[in-house]
Amino acid sequence: MTPAPAAATHCPYCALQCAMTLTPSAAVPVRPLAAPSVTAPSVTALSVTALSVTALSVTAPSVVSSGEPRVTVSGRDFPTNRGGLCKKGWTSTVLLDSPDRIAEPMRRGADGTFSPVSWVDALDDIAERLRRGRAEHGADSVGVFGGGGLTNEKAYQLGKFARIALGTSRIDYNGRFCMSSAAAAGNRAFGVDRGLPFPLAALGSAETILVLGSNVAETMPPFIAHLEKARANGGLVVVDPRRTATVRLTENGGGTHLQPTPGSDLVLLLGLTHIVIAEKLVDERFLRERTVGFDALARSVGAWWPQRVQSVTGVPVHQLREVARRLASGRGSYILTGRGVEQHVDGTDTATAAINLALVLGLPGTPHSGYGTLTGQGNGQGGREHGQKADQLPGYRKIVDPAARAHVAAVWGVDPDDLPGAGLPAVELLNSFGQPGGVRSLLVHGSNVVVSAPNVNRVRAGLAALDLLVVCDFFFSETASLADYVLPVTQWAEEEGTMTSLEGRVIRRRKALDAPSGVRNELWIMRELARRLESPGVFSESPAEVFDELARASEGGLADYSGIDYALLDSGAPVYWPYPAGSNGTPRLFQAAFAHPDGLARIVPVTPRPAPEPLNTPGSLTLITGRLLEHYQSGAQTRRVPELNDAKPHARAELHPTTAASLGVADGDLVELGNSRGSVRAIALVTATIRPDTVFLPFHFAGSECANLLTQDATDPISGMPEFKTTAVTVRAVREEVTA
Amino acid sequence: MSVTPRIVLVGYGPVGARFVEDLLPAVRLGAVALTVVGAEDEEAYNRVLVAEFAVGRTDRSAMEVTDTAAAVDAGVRFVRGAHVTGIDRDARTVTLDDESVLGYDRLVLATGARANVPTLDGVDAVARDLRALLRLDHSEQGRDQRLPDGVTVLRDLADARTVRAAVEGRRRIVVLGAGVLGLEIALAAAEEGAEVCVVHHGGHPMARNLDRGGGTMLARSVVRAGVALVAHSRAEAVTYRTDDEGERHFDALVCADGKIIAGDLLVLSCGVSARAELATLAGLPTSAGVLVDDGLRSWDDPHVFAIGDCAHVAERPADYLAGARVAGGPSGLIGPGWRQAEWLAASLSAEFAASAPPPPLAAPRPALVMLKAEAVDVVSVGDVELEPWDAEPSTVDADGDRVPGRQVSQWVDPEHGRYLKMVTRGGVLEGMVCVGLPRTAAELTLLFERGSELPADRSVLLRNDGPDYAPATDSDTFAPDATVCWCNGVTVAHIHESVDAGDTTVACVGKSTRAGTGCGGCKGRIGELIERFMETEAAELPV
Repeated sequence: MTPAPAAATHCPYCALQCAMTLTPSAAVPVRPLAAPSVTAPSVTALSVTALSVTALSVTAPSVVSSGEPRVTVSGRDFPTNRGGLCKKGWTSTVLLDSPDRIAEPMRRGADGTFSPVSWVDALDDIAERLRRGRAEHGADSVGVFGGGGLTNEKAYQLGKFARIALGTSRIDYNGRFCMSSAAAAGNRAFGVDRGLPFPLAALGSAETILVLGSNVAETMPPFIAHLEKARANGGLVVVDPRRTATVRLTENGGGTHLQPTPGSDLVLLLGLTHIVIAEKLVDERFLRERTVGFDALARSVGAWWPQRVQSVTGVPVHQLREVARRLASGRGSYILTGRGVEQHVDGTDTATAAINLALVLGLPGTPHSGYGTLTGQGNGQGGREHGQKADQLPGYRKIVDPAARAHVAAVWGVDPDDLPGAGLPAVELLNSFGQPGGVRSLLVHGSNVVVSAPNVNRVRAGLAALDLLVVCDFFFSETASLADYVLPVTQWAEEEGTMTSLEGRVIRRRKALDAPSGVRNELWIMRELARRLESPGVFSESPAEVFDELARASEGGLADYSGIDYALLDSGAPVYWPYPAGSNGTPRLFQAAFAHPDGLARIVPVTPRPAPEPLNTPGSLTLITGRLLEHYQSGAQTRRVPELNDAKPHARAELHPTTAASLGVADGDLVELGNSRGSVRAIALVTATIRPDTVFLPFHFAGSECANLLTQDATDPISGMPEFKTTAVTVRAVREEVTA
Repeated sequence: MSVTPRIVLVGYGPVGARFVEDLLPAVRLGAVALTVVGAEDEEAYNRVLVAEFAVGRTDRSAMEVTDTAAAVDAGVRFVRGAHVTGIDRDARTVTLDDESVLGYDRLVLATGARANVPTLDGVDAVARDLRALLRLDHSEQGRDQRLPDGVTVLRDLADARTVRAAVEGRRRIVVLGAGVLGLEIALAAAEEGAEVCVVHHGGHPMARNLDRGGGTMLARSVVRAGVALVAHSRAEAVTYRTDDEGERHFDALVCADGKIIAGDLLVLSCGVSARAELATLAGLPTSAGVLVDDGLRSWDDPHVFAIGDCAHVAERPADYLAGARVAGGPSGLIGPGWRQAEWLAASLSAEFAASAPPPPLAAPRPALVMLKAEAVDVVSVGDVELEPWDAEPSTVDADGDRVPGRQVSQWVDPEHGRYLKMVTRGGVLEGMVCVGLPRTAAELTLLFERGSELPADRSVLLRNDGPDYAPATDSDTFAPDATVCWCNGVTVAHIHESVDAGDTTVACVGKSTRAGTGCGGCKGRIGELIERFMETEAAELPV
């Protein structure tokens, strides 16, 4: 077998989608994967403990027996990453031959252990049980949970599969945990949501960049090259309760760190807006010609003068003034938000407040300034455009819009009346498991909800109550290990497709090598299930064909891909949506008008609300969560890369020295963080880089280290985003070493 | 009740406006009929910004706090530019200066406060006790006195415009009183180029808020900011000059010790008093304001309420005698006033529109005082007279629980203009003065508002303003665990190892450690490190 030529593709992880080349190593034969002998817990899913789950994820050598990976990675020049990769990208190919890889479909037996099963038997049984579930409990008893890492083709096809093959409205995805608040705010203000409505490289010409709640230096390191000019001009402003790696970029004259107490971001933004208005730094002409709603905003922020903001946020007045003036200095200013400010029950309003600040300064829709949100997951942008969302059809269309239904139904070859209506956002969907009228059968694609969803104990109980759980994955992730069926699927280097990066650029994922023989692409799985379910419509397993259909389905929608095909993408042209047929795409949105019918941006006044649960009560700390350089999302992949896992094998709880001292905790001690929902054990990392009232946990770990055992499932009323970032916890030192 | 309950609000400042806003849902439902009587023709504005408006730093449009049009749309009736001159509690009506009469079922007084005019020879004194009020003409009730030309208080927009003209004309401004507002206007006017002198009778400015140490430090900062301070001076008289057209203007302030301080404008900044005379005239109990219980209801009339700067919330003493002085008084701050407005609106909505009643209004905490000035940073709260060596024994409260005595920690650095006093009880901040330490002050304001315990090591707080808060990393860029390449998590030690292993170029080091293979921003540093480690190696070679 001759190895394929080098594949020009992109990194499998985050939304920066660093360009990389995968070169197959000619000498190395494809190693047949042995079926891992995995024993899943025989008890109920709810009682799966940390240790037993961990036992499934054996860490092992990352390379085939010859010691050489089958493909080698090299950085590829591209405007976003300029040839660079981070540690995760460099080690990404290790997972292709991981000994943990699932090589054939696995079925859980009556004794709770998994054993291999043929594709035919697996799909026949799954289809039969889905059909039966639908007949007995209605179509909405079948749920689908997708992911922001799926290609555009898979995400599109999954939405279509749910609506016409399963006939269910109950589809949502893990992007609800990431981008939904910023998306809702962007749609409300601008009429469209493209994370960065400008090419990423445009940041490179800005002298002031305000980053709120994002730690790009760890989450997408090659990004920081675009902050160079702002740093050189002292204009990088980072808002974070921790002095993160990104904050360190402000040192030595690079800029300013604002360190507000968790949960006060909205007030901080109202305060900055107040100063901009009070000090007459507003762009009056812009407000007059391109926006509506300023007067109400001016009144609403009148109540947030700087001294009052200081007493709520802990950010000194002079810093607030400096930042407001700096942003208004007119030498290219960008405001960027991340999950830190968005993952709250008022996340939509907080993102709106950031947009309002940008609008009063006249930044969006101008050539050298703007507002953007930093999409996290690999296809977090494309994944939120083409129908995985409960309320959405392809092209960022609303599922309740009759015209949208008619258009999409015509492309799918079904009657618009046969399309279900809006479903439930992720947390509600998860909470409906096993409830009367709730979901009883679930298909999971590209998500590891028992690590990544809030209030994990509740999610575990919900999954245990299901009649059928089918998980598509590469590994026995913590969620897969609770499944009735685990269907092994292709990894990024084994498939063709497209992704839409954080800047709204559609890029190609290309195949570098064949998948192991027992592994299938999800497009194939959907085709096979659709056939067995006697679904109307066409379910192609060819990514190019699915993409062409996606392009037609998106035509006329907000995220219009109708002018894009693989030939265009393969030409190397920079392709930014909206890209209607006959156009050249849209690298920079809003230059002439915003996407509302009248072309004007909406300024929507927002006001702070009390936290869903009281914070800063005596003896409590506020838990915030985030990422580490070495790991990605639930860690299902990166914890299986030895180099990454060896560097960061465990969750460490960051505590301020003064807090640690009062708790009697020393660096390296085992501590327990607890609240009414659960408890987490972690090693203390004592560091002055965190606020004394705050404790930080990375969210990549499972079992008793899973940060989401503590987080709450209260959600934003507009976006459905859970409150991940302010959780009241108590912390105590664990004196005697207790092992479960 | 067969007819819609009528609520009359007297006063449409920021507190009144908040009350209206929060009552709108009930108004829209038709559950209550709301009439607002406002003395100023202006829209409600944010008084917090009056000093900034007075020096031209902000515009009227930035001071709007409410949407009157929305309230009108909702069905609120406004009577603007009108004064309530009397309350008939038996008939439950109020009379306006145009003799019109409004009936009410609930009367809410949000008349605010007026600036005090001290007793000065040359300025008419006005009494507002019941006897004096009864002598006033009906149409004069509720009005403020007119001050001579060149003399002003600083309370409303008209006053602010007077000051603004003087600032813009770079005139000499004399401020009488060194409270927060006096200092704010003095500092702001000086920054904008006016010549400013502050006259006060204590030993240091902000005497009501600061201890001697903090006040002394503040005085230095104020002088450094270009404002003349005349301490220990009791003002006694105002003299006038007459211009060519025969108009009399302020000329100078005369002090008890004979000092004469000349200027173009005299700004009287001597505190405020509640506008409580409507209640006084109506026979309702008043002291430092309209006396109301913790439900904001008048002690003597269940149909009358007061909120904001005119409200004196206090428990009625068992032995209360009409006219007796009652401890406490309005806070004079907007925050507590807003909370009262929100609470009363919620409470009346619950009564008439069947919405959920609000939880009891929390007792106001001592209010933080933050001087709004660019060059001077002062925050204070609570009682700060206690000194570090004043031992305060613990006591036992009514429940038999031990209440620890207060403790004081202090930092004094006159050379650098920094002063901090923290008065704590059981580790929780009860009072503080913080001068010249802006980050520390920000953290302490937050901790005070929450009632959180301070770090046991108080010096941790001071370090917020220390050089290690945002460390210049130059000192430790060669520390073995210092990160060089963020993209790949490569430290100085890793690069040292790589150089020791024979890598002598950035590319080689990149190949073996991945340093510099992400964003590439650290390649320069890697080069420096290679050079440094190769030199070290060379030096270590035997000669």
